[in-house]
Parts: sequence; structure tokens; C-alpha cells
Amino acid sequence: MAASSASKLFRAGRSLLGGLKDPNGSIGMSKDLPRSYLFSQQQRTFIQMRTNLKVVDNSGAKRVMCIQALKGKRGARLGDMIVASVKEAQPGGKVKKGQVVYGVVVRAAMQRGRSDGSEIKFDDNAVVLVNKQGEPIGTRVFGPVPHELRKKKHVKILSLAEHIA
Amino acid sequence: MRLEKCWFCSSTIYPGHGIQFVRNDAKIFRFCRSKCHKNFKMKRNPRKVKWTKAYRRLHGKDMTQDSTFEFERKRNRPERYDRNLAENTLKAIKKIDKVRVDREARHHAMRMKGKKAMERKEAAKELEQSIHMVKAPAALQQEASLTLPKIKVKVSQEQSQENRMEE
Repeated sequence: MAASSASKLFRAGRSLLGGLKDPNGSIGMSKDLPRSYLFSQQQRTFIQMRTNLKVVDNSGAKRVMCIQALKGKRGARLGDMIVASVKEAQPGGKVKKGQVVYGVVVRAAMQRGRSDGSEIKFDDNAVVLVNKQGEPIGTRVFGPVPHELRKKKHVKILSLAEHIA
Repeated sequence: MRLEKCWFCSSTIYPGHGIQFVRNDAKIFRFCRSKCHKNFKMKRNPRKVKWTKAYRRLHGKDMTQDSTFEFERKRNRPERYDRNLAENTLKAIKKIDKVRVDREARHHAMRMKGKKAMERKEAAKELEQSIHMVKAPAALQQEASLTLPKIKVKVSQEQSQENRMEE
């Protein structure tokens, strides 16, 4: 990190305030966080039967409801596969309302441990629709997705994603 | 391995510690411990919470402008590994750390410089203004009006056994 620093020991310092912007840039915090605030006020739990999830791809579905988690006794978590029923869909999409589809949970409000021991959580519960083989139905993925999907062999979703967290 | 800074208190987050929250616009908020995470959930502004680094810097409690801070900075371009450079860096870290600690101590000393004189001045002023409230012990003995008069209070007699039975 500080590899090139040795020779610069006594170089005249630039104002540090510029570098500190990140932790301090929070004046407008209360303004731009109301939704996540509401989310975090309740205890978030597993994705189980009847959980509504946002669909974050261009398959045509907008909202699905989980009808079965394919892993875990208590429900699905970040990165797990679920079976869902399409509750809202755009007209002319690849999937229709009422269809039963498979999906990968790409964002979950419940925190999940990472391999290094830290934890990660997201704003909402979101899913990317896939077929039975795990290949995505849509051709785009919106919003951030976790890098744990690589471990779950969903590399295609990762490559389509805008941001990887 | 990268040592991140806590979004709330600006302390270092070592690998395996804390929790990170990813907002839907992909901004990542990292927290060193649940204390910071909870404060974030309560929508507290770190600039207004006294124990955070942001507050201390904003209010001039800590040294803010110093060349030693330049070295500890996030660099997005990975440096090509060079054994000699790594060795020199490790040596320099100790030296830089020492310089920084010394400068911080000096900053603290400068900040606290006028405090003792001010305290003494205030004590002298108080003494001058309210010395009339203090009386010497000898004066108190001579002048009876200065002390509260002693009053004899009668202690009620304990009731006899029979009376209590009647009641």
C-alpha cells in the first residue's frame, strides 16, 4: 500500500481534508437514507415461502413470490436458489404472470457471513431469474451483486452485473 | 489484504471484522463493530457524535493537516512488487509512525497550553469575589449570631406495653 512512500517522508503535505472526504461526506446523510433506515429497523430473516422479491433483470418479471427455497431448512439466503411464482410482469416479456420460475437471490436484507468472517447485507431482497440449469433468462442484471455468486457457480450473473460488492 | 476504514468512526477494520452494508446504488458502508452499525441505523451524523474521528477532526481536537497522513492513503493502482522497496517501506513505516506520534503529542500540548493559566485565573477570581462568605473559626466562636443556635428537641417516650395492646 505505502510502497512508494519511503522516499517521500518529508515531502510537504497536501491538505488532509481532501483525503478525509469519504468518512465526513455525511452532511446529507439523513436526507438520502430514509428507505434503508426503515429497512434496517426490523429484524431481517430468511427468504422463505411467501417472501416477495424484486426481479433485477430484463426477463420481464417485476415481482416474484418465493414458493420454495432449494437450500437450507429455514429458507434461502444470499446466493441461494429459490422457486418462485411471478406475481407482476411486464407485457411482452419472456416470463408471464403466474409462471413458476427459478431464481438466484442476488441481494438479501438479512446479513450473511463472508469467508473472511465479516458480514454483508443489502438494502432489499432481489432475485435474478434463471432456468433449471442456472443460466440467466434475462440479458442484463441491475444493481450490485455479491462476489459470493462466483463460488455458487453463477459466473454469468456476475459478468452481467453493474457493480460487484 | 486491505485495511478499510469504518464509515462511522474512521477506525481501521481488520479482515474478518465488522459488517458491511451495500446500498442499492452500490455504495458500500463498512462498520468496524455493531456500535457503529447501530449508530448508522439510527441515522446519526458522525460529525455530531463526539467519540468519532470525524467530530474530533472537525472540532480541532486532533491534528488534521500533516504530511505523515499522506502515506496512509487508499491507492487504487496496485504497486508492482519489489523486494527492496517492500523492505524500505517496512523500515519507513516505523519512522513515519514515530514522527506522527511526536507531532500529535505536540499538537495536544499546544492545544492545552493556556489551560493551566486559565484555571488559576478563574480560581483567583472566585476567591476574590466570594471570600466574604468564609469566616475564620475563631470569629465563629466569638460571635454567636454567625452560627445556628442549638435547639433542644424532646424525644418522645416509648409507649408502655399495655397501652399498645389496648390500641
